[in-house]
Amino acid sequence: MPELDGARLTFKLVYYGPARSGKTTNLMRLHDLVAPQLKGELMTLDTQGDRTLFFDLLPMGFVAPSGLLIKFRVFTVPGQVAHDGTRKAVLSRADGIVFVADSQVTEETNNAESFRNLAENCSRVGLDFDRLPVVVQFNKRDLSPILAEQEVRQRWAGVSWPLTFATALSGAGVAETFALLLRALYRQFDPELQLSDRHGLDEAAFVAGILP
Amino acid sequence: MNDVFDRSPCLADLLPGPLLEQVCGHMAALLEADTALLDPAGRVVWGTPAANAERSPLVLELEPIGHLAAPVAGSRLQAAAALLRDILLARHRLLMASRLHVESIAADYADLLEQHAALQASEARYKELSAELEQRVAAQVKLLDERQRQLYQAENLASLGRLAAGVAHEINNPIGFVRSNLSSFAIYLQKFAALKERLNDAAAAWQALEIDYLLKDGADLVTESIGGIDRVARIVGDLKGFSNVDRAEEEVVDLNENLRQVVSVLQGQLPAGVSIDAEYGQLPRLLCLPGHLNQVFVNIVRNGVQAIGDSNRPGVITIRTQAVDGGIEVSVGDSGVGMTPEQRERAFDPFFTTRDVGKGTGLGLTVARDIVQAHGGRLAIDSRFGFGTTVTLFLPA
Ligand SMILES: Nc1nc2c(ncn2[C@@H]2O[C@H](COP(=O)(O)OP(=O)(O)OP(=O)(O)O)[C@@H](O)[C@H]2O)c(=O)[nH]1
Ligand SMILES: [Mg+2]
Repeated sequence: MPELDGARLTFKLVYYGPARSGKTTNLMRLHDLVAPQLKGELMTLDTQGDRTLFFDLLPMGFVAPSGLLIKFRVFTVPGQVAHDGTRKAVLSRADGIVFVADSQVTEETNNAESFRNLAENCSRVGLDFDRLPVVVQFNKRDLSPILAEQEVRQRWAGVSWPLTFATALSGAGVAETFALLLRALYRQFDPELQLSDRHGLDEAAFVAGILP
Repeated sequence: MNDVFDRSPCLADLLPGPLLEQVCGHMAALLEADTALLDPAGRVVWGTPAANAERSPLVLELEPIGHLAAPVAGSRLQAAAALLRDILLARHRLLMASRLHVESIAADYADLLEQHAALQASEARYKELSAELEQRVAAQVKLLDERQRQLYQAENLASLGRLAAGVAHEINNPIGFVRSNLSSFAIYLQKFAALKERLNDAAAAWQALEIDYLLKDGADLVTESIGGIDRVARIVGDLKGFSNVDRAEEEVVDLNENLRQVVSVLQGQLPAGVSIDAEYGQLPRLLCLPGHLNQVFVNIVRNGVQAIGDSNRPGVITIRTQAVDGGIEVSVGDSGVGMTPEQRERAFDPFFTTRDVGKGTGLGLTVARDIVQAHGGRLAIDSRFGFGTTVTLFLPA
């Protein structure tokens, strides 16, 4: 549940996924994309090479017509299997998830494993995975061998999560992914938070606040 | 953990009492002016703001978490604020990392506890299962034992039945003629009674009543009857060796004697075309369960008889005993059908039989071997298909 604290509403968002799927890269590109006044510093905590050991944090936000500061604290988890405790700790109280999968066919098992781990950890930290806004991103579309987009969509047909395709390294698809998450967030929380009624924010404005 | 990790940073978290004093003290010394730290709403957190103070915001994430205020040139103040912000940022990172660290250790610990509980549960389940399994195995073994014993008893009863039939036949014969002898003798006695009536004409009556013949034949009848009775007595004596199987007691015996009894009991029930040729060598006396060994011999001889029957030829059962190094050797051979190597292979298989289902349970040889082994002995089979089988027993004496 987003935290309403005075004139500030904070959403906690988490980029989840297997090791080296491109979560940190997504955050770096997002940081590049967003206008300076809408973002804070990207905080990268302790890495080993390019492997996240704790988390990355990118704060972003904008002010709604009502004057409410809408703030997003976007985290990445460490994808390596060994860091499950940290992953769980970062995940707790998340309001939305981007699951970053590695498109390479060799990574299918890792993706599946990590996705199951996400569902498991959600229930461990008391999140209702079925109600949580989740976007699934297939990253590294520039590599091969990978499954064609159509085939991926076929395989995932019937699930409710929106799918996106990205090459985080070049930034392609990064903004689209985040926009999808913002839309899902809005739909989930508008009824409770009365974003449109009390704060003058419709869905498009909610997305445009960060990604004009 | 929402206190530090999930909450946006604030001055109170980042600069607790002593640290606030220290850091702000240094700032004031560097700025060489009245320096104050204000919260986002402009309230004083530390120091005394000068009336003409400039303010510089302290932004860590998006919104200012406070302001540095001092009456100094803008560029100087901004530099000081940047330094302070770097200090706050470092504190922020440290707090988040350590908070996360604590949290992840707690999560790992919770995991460990969970795993431990799961392990304990599965161990308990495993123990339960293995106990149950043991019980079931024991029950199965008991059931099998019972089945085997039942089969064995059924086989025993069947052989007792056959034995009884043979014995009845054996005994019936002498009893038949003893009875008929005694009927004749009763008539002879009536004639002696008639002789008494005619004593005045004794010589003629003696003649007419054929008393001479009666005397001679009467004596024969008695002798023959005594012979018959003796035969019955002997058969009954032989049977004794079989009667005490169940209350088995060890006895010191001459094994030849047991074999003679067995042969004598079985002799009466040999089918046509089968004969027994027994030669007994000098044997040391043997401490054994004679009833059990008799059973072994009966089983083996009967197998031989059946094997000869199956060959559709007349045949001989050859029994030999001899003293060997360390004990006694008994061999029972037959000139019957013999066994194929596969049959020989499975001869001790408790439920294997070469005969049609229903004619034998196959327990014979297994039981025989078990009994011989219980005596510390060995039982060996030598068989040639089409020529016959020889079973050789060694018993340590
Ligand atoms: N070719 C290609 N490489 C990518 C792409 N996205 C990320 N990478 C590379 O993949 C490697 C891992 O990326 P990260 O963003 O560090 O992965 P991560 O998911 O944060 O990994 P962990 O922190 O270990 O969980 C880096 O070398 C990236 O440059 C992509 O779209 N295409
Ligand atoms: Mg990373």
